[in-house]
Amino acid sequence: MRLTALAALVVTFAATTAPATAAWRGYISHPLGFAFAAPGDLKVEKGTYRGAVAGARDTLVYRFIDDDIEYKAVVIDMSDKANDAATLLGEAEYTFQEDKKVLMDPFGRGARQYGRQLTIDLPNSAGRASAAFYFINGRIISLKATVLPANGDYNTPEMGRFVDSITFFTVRAEDDAIELPVPSK
Amino acid sequence: MRRWVLAALAGSALTMAAMPAQAAWKSYINRELGFSFMAPGEVKTSVGTYRGNIAGPRQTIVYRSVEDNIEYKVMVMSFIQAQAEGANILGEREYMFQDGKKVLVDTFARVEPGKDSVYGRKIVVDLPDKKGRSTGAFYFTKGKLISLEATVLPANGDFASPDPGRFIDSVAFVLSRTEPGAVELKTPKLE
Repeated sequence: MRLTALAALVVTFAATTAPATAAWRGYISHPLGFAFAAPGDLKVEKGTYRGAVAGARDTLVYRFIDDDIEYKAVVIDMSDKANDAATLLGEAEYTFQEDKKVLMDPFGRGARQYGRQLTIDLPNSAGRASAAFYFINGRIISLKATVLPANGDYNTPEMGRFVDSITFFTVRAEDDAIELPVPSK
Repeated sequence: MRRWVLAALAGSALTMAAMPAQAAWKSYINRELGFSFMAPGEVKTSVGTYRGNIAGPRQTIVYRSVEDNIEYKVMVMSFIQAQAEGANILGEREYMFQDGKKVLVDTFARVEPGKDSVYGRKIVVDLPDKKGRSTGAFYFTKGKLISLEATVLPANGDFASPDPGRFIDSVAFVLSRTEPGAVELKTPKLE
């Protein structure tokens, strides 16, 4: 009896010390034509991307951090070079894994949309990142989740949950998905 | 001593005679379609078909040779009106190549340096029912899906042969890289 009470106490203690994880919410961008789910607070940022074929590009980043995992949806407008779609996508995938240890590199396959999913270990024990890359409607859309060393659970299912949540069919988005803001140019 | 020399000479001669005669590798170029490659044997031109959920039904231009029980095949499909869908069409083609097969290698492929780079994929699969091993390279450039496939047939049996790699890696899209004197390939008329 005393043992059972002790066990219950241990379970309660473990629950209180576990990091509070935020609820997952659905997000959608009707103008950009994609939806996904992520935990934590949304921040909209601008970034840059450069590739030998793509040249220098501005990026639109939807970023979340929860439980020391960084979630990013990155949109790169390539509409002026969309005829090079296959090479531009290949270049973005290649750049993501260049000089890093690749753990997985399978097809990324949504409904009628082929891309690539890659999981890598970052150099200098800076964490593990999982990403999916797609080219659709003249844009490279990638979802990247990075487990930071402060989290340390490199096999967490949260990375896969984020990366696999992407859909390019708005009918598949959650009914209460939040519309993503598109910053003015 | 003389017997040893004689035996060595006879052994070498026998080995040479038993080895299959290897055809010379030649360079081939199609300026209209914008690529070149190298292959052994006699390259024949034909027209085939392909169907994908995304690509739809397509006619294909095929350049094929067989040498020492290895089949070398270059397949070209035109998607001039769907170039912006190139990444998706290429992904489907790569997926279909390995679907239901044992994948041994699946890695990035890149032809040409810097801003002229064309990114694709190299995949090696074992065919079902021990029908051989296929090495494929897939690219989508200038509105065309271009694939190179080399299949080592069971009659050859040397599944680690370097020849499929030599074939796959010989592709060029910047035609100034093609060696002079390459055989000009004709483009068959499609319906």
